[in-house]
Amino acid sequence: MLKPQNMLNQSQISALIQQGCNSSDWSNVILAEQCEPDRFRNVIFIGNVSVGNNNGTIQSDGIDLPCGIYNAIISNCTIGNGVRIANIGSVVANCIIGDEVLIENVASLVGETNSSCGNGVELDVVNEGGGRGTMLINQMTSQTAYLQALVRHNAAFTKNLSALIERQAKVNCSGMSIGENARIIHCGAIKNVNIGPFATIHGSQNLENGTILSCPKHPTEVGEAVLAKSFIISEGAKIDSGAILDKVFIGQAVKLGKQFSAENSMFFANCEGFHGEAVSLFAGPYTVTHHKSTLLIAGLFSFFNAGSGSNQSNHMYKLGPVHQGVFERGCKTGSFSYVLLESHIGAFSVVIGKHFTNINAPNLPFSYIHEEDGASKVIPGMNLFSVGTVRDGEKWPKRDNRKSLIKKDLIIFDVFSPYTVEKMLLGRNELLALSDSTPKEKAYVNYGGLQINRLLLRKGAKYYALAITRYLNDKVCSRISELLEQENNWEKATASFKPQSQLQRASEWTDISGLLVPREKLVELEEKVVSGSIASFDELLTELQSFYVGYKKYEWQYIYETFSKEYHILLESITKEQAIKSIDEWQKAANSLHSMVFEDSKREFGNFAKIGYGIDKSEEETDHEFASVRGSAETNGVVQKISKELIEIQERCQQFTNLVITIK
Amino acid sequence: MTRQEIAERVIKTTARELHLNISDIRESDNFAMELGADSLKSIELVAAFEEDFDLSVNEEEALQVQSVGGAIDFFDSIINKK
Repeated sequence: MLKPQNMLNQSQISALIQQGCNSSDWSNVILAEQCEPDRFRNVIFIGNVSVGNNNGTIQSDGIDLPCGIYNAIISNCTIGNGVRIANIGSVVANCIIGDEVLIENVASLVGETNSSCGNGVELDVVNEGGGRGTMLINQMTSQTAYLQALVRHNAAFTKNLSALIERQAKVNCSGMSIGENARIIHCGAIKNVNIGPFATIHGSQNLENGTILSCPKHPTEVGEAVLAKSFIISEGAKIDSGAILDKVFIGQAVKLGKQFSAENSMFFANCEGFHGEAVSLFAGPYTVTHHKSTLLIAGLFSFFNAGSGSNQSNHMYKLGPVHQGVFERGCKTGSFSYVLLESHIGAFSVVIGKHFTNINAPNLPFSYIHEEDGASKVIPGMNLFSVGTVRDGEKWPKRDNRKSLIKKDLIIFDVFSPYTVEKMLLGRNELLALSDSTPKEKAYVNYGGLQINRLLLRKGAKYYALAITRYLNDKVCSRISELLEQENNWEKATASFKPQSQLQRASEWTDISGLLVPREKLVELEEKVVSGSIASFDELLTELQSFYVGYKKYEWQYIYETFSKEYHILLESITKEQAIKSIDEWQKAANSLHSMVFEDSKREFGNFAKIGYGIDKSEEETDHEFASVRGSAETNGVVQKISKELIEIQERCQQFTNLVITIK
Repeated sequence: MTRQEIAERVIKTTARELHLNISDIRESDNFAMELGADSLKSIELVAAFEEDFDLSVNEEEALQVQSVGGAIDFFDSIINKK
């Protein structure tokens, strides 16, 4: 960083003193060879201070200003080349400052020896009453945090994992530094905060005991009026406009602001939080809350969207705030929804209204949970043909804003995966059993704190069956097509159907906060941590990465076995006739679900949607105004895409059938 | 089954499911606009029609039906295979 340095000679010291500078011991002040003494004004040097070359300029608020140190007390700092430090309220102390750094108009910037800068702080996530303590470290990912917070049944695993993470936290504790090209302007006090390269901190009110990770590819921004204590903020995050953070982890490309407050909470890749409040929140990737009066408390969420005023309660005024909730991936809550914890909501479900019973419905994914006359009711599988689900599934991968070279959180985006399909299989079977055992006179049946209209038991099972059929046959037909492209012979091609993986229980999957994994792989990981064969944080990350890489392989074993169970066909001996039947099954199911999604999307342009348009105008004028504001089903991109996909289903079916017929 | 009988059953089922008086329901009524059947209720209504007529309908076609008259025609076409 620094060129050869010199102790100051007497004429340099005299010049510095003349420029208002001082030091109790000038021999501890070292300047780089080309460092211009002219560029020090009103500087008090305390202890060991070294300064790099300062002959360039650096931009501040769009204006080129000279590098150097002006109106500041500098204590025990190593300062790089091309740095400008100006107008410091009290002191810049105990910092290693990289090249090209701008520090201007800051109340104080102080590091303490061996400060951990947030590393090692324990967060009470998911359960506000404790018991799921998760330690802040710079390298935390949504998966490692999940392992710490949610895998608590195995004491030996918890102990070894904690020890492993604690070791990493200690390695990370190396005192305060400011990375190259960082810019810290117009801020209040900053104490024990490690600031990464290219980070921008502007107008922050108070930052204490934290790390701001940043990189050239994706600089991190901490903005106006932010108050943060005990935190780690990851690359590409933007925290601004009065956010208040206390014991918080912020993942890559997260945005928090507009007075959002959070304590004992973690936010992973691409989360967004504005206006609302988070307490003991485990916000897995893509958890989004944008509105005032929204509280997300004591819960596990991911791919979640909170409506305004969404609320949950974790306190029954008995043993304290000990209740927790699980909203599996893809859930949404409607405006002013309320969920009593403990509750467990199935994946991709929507919660509307206020629910005062404990809901336990993990096997009813894609459902609408709503309130009617104070009772909590559910329509199983209704979200399967909501255009919103389709849109969500497509938008998440496109909205992955992480630009860092290493994307820390491992994310499998698939809406339909072994995880959700297996839940639907379980749900389908439960609904059919309930339907068989419920007399016709009964209007509703109870299910996990919810009521299901008896008439919807078979309906829900039918929706799930459609989605399962579409998934399995789609994947099998795709695989056949792939294999036939490589091998122009039916028997040889289908012989390669056997899965490469050898899972014992391929149907059991889990969602490690974004990463879908066969449960036995997670058990293997637990055993490796217990036995010590995973002994470092890096080894833990490598193991998780192998799960991510292996997803398609494990998924295929799930499909292979589930297809065999559902259709009693062993895939390596599938006949051409059976394959053609499979594509036919896929076509029917895909067509049916797609048509329902298409109808749902068109409803967005029906008469109902026109309420409030064309105020005091004629029907014709209303139609024109609606078309000018909202467009029409004929012009809307999403509707047209779904319409096009309906045609593609037929085309694909025809192509596949022709391929199978013509192959030897 | 005559169209009249189908109409009576559609209206009776609609009234029961949407908590309305039979006399308040007209063939021209739009399920969503006039009778307040949101998308959740529409699903329940289709399930109730299926049970009352003892048949299974094509879901996507059923969800296209907008009005009481449309529902009567829809079931008339299935039952009487027009």
